[in-house]
Amino acid sequence: MKEQIRGRIVRIHFGEDDRWQGKPLYEAILAKCRELAIAEAVVFRGIEGYGSGSRVRRKGHWTFSKDAPIQLSIIDTEEQIAHLLPILDTMVDEGLVVTSPVEMIRYTQSPAPPG
Amino acid sequence: MLQPGKAVKVTIYLSEGATHHGVPVYSRILDFLFYRGVAGATVLKGIAGFGADHHMHAASLLDVSDRLPLKIEFIESREKVDSLLGKLEEMCGSGLIELQETTVARPAQQSGQSRPAPPAHLKMEGRAQMMRIYVCEDDRWRDKQLYKALLEAMRANDIAGVTVYRGIAGFSAHRRPVKDKTPAATVTLCAVDTHEKLEAILPLVDQMVVEGLVVFSDVDIIKYAWRAADTEASPAQ
Repeated sequence: MKEQIRGRIVRIHFGEDDRWQGKPLYEAILAKCRELAIAEAVVFRGIEGYGSGSRVRRKGHWTFSKDAPIQLSIIDTEEQIAHLLPILDTMVDEGLVVTSPVEMIRYTQSPAPPG
Repeated sequence: MLQPGKAVKVTIYLSEGATHHGVPVYSRILDFLFYRGVAGATVLKGIAGFGADHHMHAASLLDVSDRLPLKIEFIESREKVDSLLGKLEEMCGSGLIELQETTVARPAQQSGQSRPAPPAHLKMEGRAQMMRIYVCEDDRWRDKQLYKALLEAMRANDIAGVTVYRGIAGFSAHRRPVKDKTPAATVTLCAVDTHEKLEAILPLVDQMVVEGLVVFSDVDIIKYAWRAADTEASPAQ
């Protein structure tokens, strides 16, 4: 099945060491997205980068730092994203959130039995 | 390129242990000078010294040997130095910067003339579209991994560029959650080309992707390419 909708992509950039209430921030945001039944969310780990506070983030060979750059991409309709953004305000202390409009095409298999 | 004649020698005095956001200050300054096209720079290591704080630092005193003096020197034209000073002052923190009038008798010759200067590259700007396809790593299409098949299909259709990313965690509406340890990660293909070219391969994507998400967005592109082509009248026989 194919459906076509207008939506919005949100990309959040922060560090792997960032935490929210004791657990990794990306897991926390992912859990929040699931709660809101967001259509698509993926976490990427960068190999090197810098960002807020121009702290160099690097998963180095000789440094033991694990603070790799993390990028979270979230895609859904404008309304759904509008629900999510105020929640991000409370969760992301230091980071960057960018959004842009997108056109989505979603392919789904008509309700398949689980397993 | 430095010309013979009047120039300015800049000396920056630092402490070896000084860091800024975890990066040694001297290497930050060196990077800055390098990427601003300064003719040359040298970092010298002192074995003992004291600074404004009047604390003696010496290699022989083990406990204070991490704050040995460092000196960065470079020679540039007055205009260039003036354009760099503001940022340098900010970067070297409490360190001292000294300027000295000097005369260049003979600028350093560039070694390795055998290496030809790279040809000027071409910069193209314009509007294009980005297509991102979200699928599962173990999705298959005719006995092939779906993302590889998509990649090959796009390559065959002359799409300007495609990159595949593997996510470390994620979920999507109709699929089970995927995490680091499970074998099936979420994969994103990111393709950039003109609207027409991407539209042209969409029917193909329709056929191949059974379950997944495709998003389009407008992007401004800046493309760098070698001018090459016509200048390369190939002598290879």
